[in-house]
Amino acid sequence: MRIQQNMTLMEKLSILSTAAKYDVACTSSGVDRSGNKKGIGNSVAPGCCHSFSADGRCISLLKILFTNECIFNCAYCQNNCHSDVPRTAFTPDEVCTLTMEFYRRNYIEGLFLSSGIMISPNYTMELIYETLSRLRNVHQFNGYIHVKAIPGADPLLVEKTGYLADRMSVNLELPTSDSLKKLAPCKSRSTILKPMRQIQNGITVNKNELTVYKKAPRFVPAGQSTQMIIGATPEHDYQIMSVAESLYQKFQLKRVFYSAFVNVTGNTNLPMLPGGPPLLREHRLYQADWLLRYYHFKVDELLSEERPDFNVFLDPKCDWALRHLENFPVEIRTADYYTLLRVPGIGAKSAQRIVKARKNGTLDFSDLKKIGVVLKRALYFITCSGRMMYPTKLNEDYICRQLMSDRNMVPKDIREEGYRQLSLFDTTAEFPALQQAGSR
Amino acid sequence: MYLFICEDSPDGILTGVYDAWSYKIANHIKTHDEIGLLSAEPYSRRLFCEYIPVTVSSEKAAKVRHTICKNLGAEFYEEILNATLASDSCGKNQMDKADAIYKTIVIALSSPDGAKVLNYLNEPCIHRVFTLSRAAFNESHHLTGFVRFTELENGVLFSVIHPKNNALPHLAEHFTDRFPMENFIIYDENRKIAAIHSAGKNFMLADASDLNQSLLRQYSEKEEAFQKLWLAFFENIAIKARINSKLQAQNVPKRFWKDMTELKDRL
Ligand code: SF4
Repeated sequence: MRIQQNMTLMEKLSILSTAAKYDVACTSSGVDRSGNKKGIGNSVAPGCCHSFSADGRCISLLKILFTNECIFNCAYCQNNCHSDVPRTAFTPDEVCTLTMEFYRRNYIEGLFLSSGIMISPNYTMELIYETLSRLRNVHQFNGYIHVKAIPGADPLLVEKTGYLADRMSVNLELPTSDSLKKLAPCKSRSTILKPMRQIQNGITVNKNELTVYKKAPRFVPAGQSTQMIIGATPEHDYQIMSVAESLYQKFQLKRVFYSAFVNVTGNTNLPMLPGGPPLLREHRLYQADWLLRYYHFKVDELLSEERPDFNVFLDPKCDWALRHLENFPVEIRTADYYTLLRVPGIGAKSAQRIVKARKNGTLDFSDLKKIGVVLKRALYFITCSGRMMYPTKLNEDYICRQLMSDRNMVPKDIREEGYRQLSLFDTTAEFPALQQAGSR
Repeated sequence: MYLFICEDSPDGILTGVYDAWSYKIANHIKTHDEIGLLSAEPYSRRLFCEYIPVTVSSEKAAKVRHTICKNLGAEFYEEILNATLASDSCGKNQMDKADAIYKTIVIALSSPDGAKVLNYLNEPCIHRVFTLSRAAFNESHHLTGFVRFTELENGVLFSVIHPKNNALPHLAEHFTDRFPMENFIIYDENRKIAAIHSAGKNFMLADASDLNQSLLRQYSEKEEAFQKLWLAFFENIAIKARINSKLQAQNVPKRFWKDMTELKDRL
């Protein structure tokens, strides 16, 4: 084994946090648990960001790998067994010390422990279990823990670990099993979906136990999540979102995360993406994911075989509204909550506020503004007491031009990167390995 | 017009509500419209207005609190409390904070809709309470994450904050639940108040104008090492291909940076 001995905690942390950073899930959400008056820690369901790193992403959990040693050879991962990087591993006690001391100083909301596969899936899973067990039982740690289930590990180990964690995840990695076969040959759809199904079943069984006996130990109370890498393989948004939709429906996942691909291995079979990772595409996917989870949209309403990718210039909701002008304008006085939700510029909170506030009298446009409606977008799609804000035509081209002139259509931070993202979006981006394979 | 000038604190404003209300009854004033509250001494006094100073009374405040909780519920009280903790400068040319709170309570207690009147955002005073309360809530929610503790020589965890709104009561409650067995102090340097918590007990809010500053710079032996580890983690976790300082500053506004271990040297 290439593990270097005698590294300081600082050296290990540097290596094992660097190796963990491409896992995008860092939320501490999904579970409300008050302090227990003796140990340390509590948890709030909306989650909590403790800092933001130089890339602007939320830091909520101490996100580390247990080890970056790995016997697998996933092409997109810098820890794969072929790559020449310094290797190391924590001990369970080291992870406990870091977690406890960081938590006391309020640097973090908890721990996110993932790992490369050292020796075997079971060996690794055992170490992860040991770490969690010490944190919970020796250190009385009552804060948030997100842990990876290692594909291929013994279901019993996964189950034991699930009783100590708040959230578990198994990464889907790539949207289709074809891509998985090509880029992650040691993994397969079934080794990934099996633990996912197991965790789902565990959660269901546990829910039933909890209704009978409130004090039953809780199994993965914050639910499970997964992650897909975006832009390493040629799938369209339609495929990606359909996979996400079925994960929500069939596996009851709490979250699907999308991670814009960064070519860290320099592997020539992978796209080089000279413009940087496809951040705008990632952003649109998150917006669409939001529409699925909170706005009652179906993927088939947003995309189709004929139109398999999102319009980068418009957010998916505006895009949908423009193609369904026959549904508009809607009347603020009478439209029901679900109809309001579909209006561009009206978010879930403003829709709730409208429904409540209009009981006290009619709302005019200035009231809507106070409530938090983005009138600049909504004005084409709504009437207040039968009147539109300005006389405006319900014409797709016209409204589209108006909406696109709204600079906020592309988030400020991406816009300021000089639109370099936009060029990436033409789907002719190069996928050498897969195109070759496909033509064989 | 009768204007009650109260101290800008939860108890100050609630006492103002009590005094104004009883004054109205005692003097047979017809409507609440003739009564106003001010949470600060006005720049200039208007003619034909009577200005009445309010002396803070925790008993009077407790009575108002009790009435609100009993008749309008805990959630309504929470909204009012958050609004009292907000900094009044949350919007220019706005209705005075104490006045908006008074009027909102009056509307809620006289309406058959009770606590639900908080939804009527087309009512100016209610909208004002809503904005104030949201500003205070959001900031203290941010701070539950952004607060940093350093470990002092005696094992006490110490934190300094400079919030716009008075976030201390909320933070004290949060960390008492989170760190029941720690001794900690959170010090609001703008307001010179501190939340003090000793292991196993509830917290206290105390005047801290004479805090011994030199004591606070004596760190425990391990403190520096853990700060360095945290800094290393913070550096390493950023993805170089996605560096985006604008987004970072959007998400953690710069006014918080000076109190955060990992950001204070980047200002
Ligand atoms: S299993 Fe694959 S993705 Fe995970 S650490 Fe090993 S090489 Fe990387």
